[in-house]
Amino acid sequence: MSRVLGIPPKRALPLKEASLFKEVLTMYEARQLKKGLKTADQILKKFPEHGETMCMKGLILTHMGRREEGIDLVKKGVRLDLTSHICWHVFGLIQKGEKNYEEALKSYIQALRFDKENLNILRDAAHLQTQLRLYDGLVETRHILLRLRPTVRQNWVSLAVAYHLSGNLLEAKKVLEQYERTLKNVPDYDTEHSETTMYHVRLLEELGEFTEALSLLDVSSKSRVIVDKTAIMEARARLLSKLKSDESEHAWRVLIDHNPDCTSYYHGYLASQGIDSDEASLAILRDISSQIPRANAPRRLALSFASGDRFKELAKPYLLSGFTKGIPSLFADIKLLYKDQAKLSQIQALLEEIRAENAPDSAAPSSSTFTSQPTTYLWILYFQAQHFSYLSQFRRALEILDEALKHTPTLPELYTCRARVLKRAGDLFGAARSVEEARLLDGQDRFLNTKSAKYRLRAGLVDEASALLGLFTKKDATSPGADLEDMQSLLYLIEEADAQNRSGKINLALKKYIAIQKVFDEVEDDQYDFHGYSMRKFTINIYLNLLAWEDRLRSHLAYVKAAISASRIFVAVHDDPSIAASLASSGQLTDAEKKAKKKAKKAAQKVQDDSKKGNSQQSSNEDKGLEPTAPKDDDVDGIKLLGCSDPLERAAKFLHPLTTLAPQNIEVWIAVYDVAIRRKKLLQAAKALKHACSIDVENPELHIRLVHVRRTASALPQEPPVPIGPLFKESLLELLPEEVSLETFNSQYLQRHPSSQQAILAAAKVSQMLQAPLQEVENTLFAALGPDAKLDLESSQAILSYLKSLGSQRAEEFRLTCDGKFDLSTVFKSPEEQALLVKQALSVVIGYPDEVEAEA
Amino acid sequence: MNIRLARIDDLSGMQAANLINLPENYVMKFWMYHLLTWPQISFVAENGEGKIVGYVLAKIDDETTDANSAEVHGHVNSISVLRSYRRLGLARRLMMLSQEAMLTVYNASYVSLHVRKSNKAAIGLYKDTLGFSVADIEKKYYGDGEDALSMKLYLKR
Repeated sequence: MSRVLGIPPKRALPLKEASLFKEVLTMYEARQLKKGLKTADQILKKFPEHGETMCMKGLILTHMGRREEGIDLVKKGVRLDLTSHICWHVFGLIQKGEKNYEEALKSYIQALRFDKENLNILRDAAHLQTQLRLYDGLVETRHILLRLRPTVRQNWVSLAVAYHLSGNLLEAKKVLEQYERTLKNVPDYDTEHSETTMYHVRLLEELGEFTEALSLLDVSSKSRVIVDKTAIMEARARLLSKLKSDESEHAWRVLIDHNPDCTSYYHGYLASQGIDSDEASLAILRDISSQIPRANAPRRLALSFASGDRFKELAKPYLLSGFTKGIPSLFADIKLLYKDQAKLSQIQALLEEIRAENAPDSAAPSSSTFTSQPTTYLWILYFQAQHFSYLSQFRRALEILDEALKHTPTLPELYTCRARVLKRAGDLFGAARSVEEARLLDGQDRFLNTKSAKYRLRAGLVDEASALLGLFTKKDATSPGADLEDMQSLLYLIEEADAQNRSGKINLALKKYIAIQKVFDEVEDDQYDFHGYSMRKFTINIYLNLLAWEDRLRSHLAYVKAAISASRIFVAVHDDPSIAASLASSGQLTDAEKKAKKKAKKAAQKVQDDSKKGNSQQSSNEDKGLEPTAPKDDDVDGIKLLGCSDPLERAAKFLHPLTTLAPQNIEVWIAVYDVAIRRKKLLQAAKALKHACSIDVENPELHIRLVHVRRTASALPQEPPVPIGPLFKESLLELLPEEVSLETFNSQYLQRHPSSQQAILAAAKVSQMLQAPLQEVENTLFAALGPDAKLDLESSQAILSYLKSLGSQRAEEFRLTCDGKFDLSTVFKSPEEQALLVKQALSVVIGYPDEVEAEA
Repeated sequence: MNIRLARIDDLSGMQAANLINLPENYVMKFWMYHLLTWPQISFVAENGEGKIVGYVLAKIDDETTDANSAEVHGHVNSISVLRSYRRLGLARRLMMLSQEAMLTVYNASYVSLHVRKSNKAAIGLYKDTLGFSVADIEKKYYGDGEDALSMKLYLKR
C-alpha cells in the first residue's frame, strides 16, 4: 500500500513512527502477524488516535482470529481518518471477507477517491463490480487498469471481457484486435493465446460476422495458434452451417468420425444436407452405422426417425443387442420413444415376440443371430417389467419380476426395479424393503446405498435412512447428514427435508430447505475468485459461460422445490404462530436425533474451546484469513428458525429469484401470492395471480387463491391509498368479474372439472372458506371417489388429510374406501398395519441390523 | 446417450452423479476450478433426457504443480458412471476422449490416476482396455484406509 502526498496533520507521523508504519505494512503483506501487531502497538502507544495504524492493527487482529476486537478497531480507525485510502481499503477488505460485496465496493470506491491509481484497489474493485454485475462501472475500472499498465496482457483481455459483459460486443472486438496487434513472438503450443483466439472467434460469431470468424479460425489453426483441435472442428462445422456452405457436410462428418457418440454432430450433419424426409435421414444413418459399427448413436437416432414396419425392423435388433449385452439402461433409453403411441404398441408386441423366442423352454427357433443365453431372457423380463410399470400395470410388472427373480435371485437391478414398481403403486414400505435387498447384494456400491436411503426417506424412515447413509459418509462428521450437507448433496437435503415435512416435523424440514438455500449462496460466492483467476489464465470462453450459469443458478429444481416448500412453512407459521410454540414444547426428537444433537453440541463446544485456545495463545502467528468461521449452530432442530419474527420476509427472499428464473412454474406464482398478500403487498399479489392465470387459469390451487384474494379485498378495513387502491381493484376485476358470486364461481368450477380429484379438493376448500356446512364439504369431497372420478394416489392422500384437519367423522370411511381402491398401495393402511409394514421393511436379512448398529 | 465435452452447466449434474456413486466427494468450487482451469479435458455422458450419468474430471500437472515430475502430464481426478448406465462402455469412451485432449491441447506425455486396490472392475478397464500399468502403490490413500494403485499410461510413442 503506497502513501500519497499532501498528508493531513492528524495522519502525519514523526520520522521514526512513519518508518515503523511502513514496517507494519510490509509485515502485514508478508503475514508476519505477530511482529506487525507489536509494531502497530508501538506507534499507537505514542499516537493512540492514529487511524491508519489502528486500521492495520484491526486487520492484523482479524487475521489472527481475534475478529470482533479487530473489526471494532478498523471501524474506529476509519472514523478517525475518513480521507485515508488505507483506512477505506482495510475496511473494504474486511467487508469483502464477510461476503458483503455491496458495502465492500463502496469502501473501495472511497479508497479510490483518495488514491486513484492504486492497482490493488482497482483490481479488487473490478472483481467486486463483476460479482455485483455492475458492468458499466467494470468497464471504467478496467480502462483505468489498462491505461496504468498497458504492457500487462491480461489487462487488455479483461477490458474486452468487461465490454462483452456490458453488452458492447463491438468495443470488445476492437480492444481484442488492438491487443493482438501488440503481440509479438507467441510461441507454438501456447494454450493461453489459443484460448484468447478462440474467444475472438466466439466474439465474431456472436456479432454475426461468420465469414470473419471462419477465416480467423482457419488462419489460426493452420498457424498452430489454436491448439484445441476439437474446439476448432466444432466451431468450423457450426460456422460453415451458419454460412450455408457446402463444406459444412464434410466438417460435421469429420466430427462424427472423431466422436461417434455425440448426438449433436449427427443433427448438424443431417441438417447440413438439407434432409427433409425421414427416409433420407435413415439412409444416411445406415451408411454411417455400417462405416462405424461400434457407434450406438446412429442406430438409436434411426429409431426416432423410423416408423411403421421400418421401425419394427430396426427396433428388434436394437432391443436384442441390448438384451444380449445386458444393458440395464435400455428401457430408460427406449421409453423416450413412447411419446409416440404407435411405437409403444410396437415395442410391446416385439417384446412378446422376443420373449417367446428366448424363453428357456421355448421350442420356437430363435430368429436372432445370437445364440440365446439365460441372461438374455433375464434382461428381457427386466425390460418388460419396466414397460408395464410405465403403463401403470403394476401387478403385471410384479409378476414378471417374480419370474425373473426365480430365474436369478442375485441381480440387484431386479430388486431396484421391483422397488420402483412398488413405489409407483404406493407401497412405500415394500419398496424400501426391496431396494434394501438390492443393497445387501452389493454393500460396497454407494449407488445402491443412496437408493436404499432415498427409499427409506420416501417411506418416512428418517433415522433408518441416516444409518445407511453413514456407511459412506465421513466418520468424523457430526452426523451423516452433516457430511452430506457439507458436500452440498442436494438430493439428500431435498429428500430428507420432504420426509420431515410429510411427517409434520416442519422445523427439521425448514432447516434442511434453508440448507439448500445456503448451498446456492455458496456456489454463487464460489465464482468470486475466478474474476481474477480466469483473466490470468486467459480461459475466457468458459469464464463467460460460468457467469451466465451463475446468473441462472437458482433455476435448479432443488432450489425451486426448497423455496416453494419453505415458503409454505413460513406462511403456515405466520398464520398460526402456535405451531412453532407447540413443536418447541413437544420434545419430538427421536433417539437418533437426540444422539445427533448431543454430538453436534459436543462438536460445537470443541470449536468454541479451540477458538478460545486461539485467543489465549496470542503469540500465534497463524493466519486465519478474513472470512469469518461459521458460528456454532445453536438451533440444530430449527425451532428458533421456525419461530423467527420475520417468516414472510424470509419466504419472499427465498422465492424472489424464481420470478425471473422459473416464471413458467405456476406453483412459484401461487407461493409468491401467498406471501405477498400476507405482507399486504397488494399489487405484487395481484400480479402474481395474473401470471398464474396466464399459465393455467383452471389450476386448482389458483382457484382457491382467486376466491381468497376477493375475500381479502372485501375484508380490508379501509380502501388502500391511491394509486394502489384503484389499481388493485382493477386487477381483481380482470381476475374474477364482480357480478359473479363466489359460491357460483366455485360451483361452476366444480362443474367444469367433475372428474379431477384435485379440482374437487380445491372446490371443497373454497366451500369451507365460504362457511358451507361440514356435511356439504364432506359430500363434495366424497365425490372424489365417485364412479366418474379419476383416482390418483397423491390427491386422494391430500383429501384424506384435509378431512382429518376438518375433524370430519367420515375420514375413516374415506381411508377405508381408498384402501380398497388402491391396489398394492400401503398409504391408506391403518397406523397399526403400517407399523407392521415398517418392521418388515427393516428386517430384510439377519445380521444386517448389527451392521447398522456398528455405524450408528 | 450423448458423450461430449463437459460444459459449465454440467457442473451440478457431475457433482450429483459423483455423490450418488462414489465415496470421494468434492464441493462445487473444486469442480469449478478444474473446468475453469483446463476446460478442454473433462467429458460427460448424458442420457436422452439430458441427465448426467457419467463423467471424467481431469487436470494437468507440470513442474509447477507437481514437484515429483518435470513432465507435463494429465491426471484423472474422478471418473464415474452411474450403476444403472453400466455396460455401455461409457467409462472407456470418456477416458479416451480425455486422454486425446490431454495430448493434443497440452502435449501431455502421460496420464495418471489413482484407483482403489479392491476395485477390480476399474483396474481391469484401465489395464486391459486402456493400457495403463501400475506405477506405485500408495498406502492408505483413501479416507477409509484403503490403499491406492497409482497407474500410468504414456500417451506418445
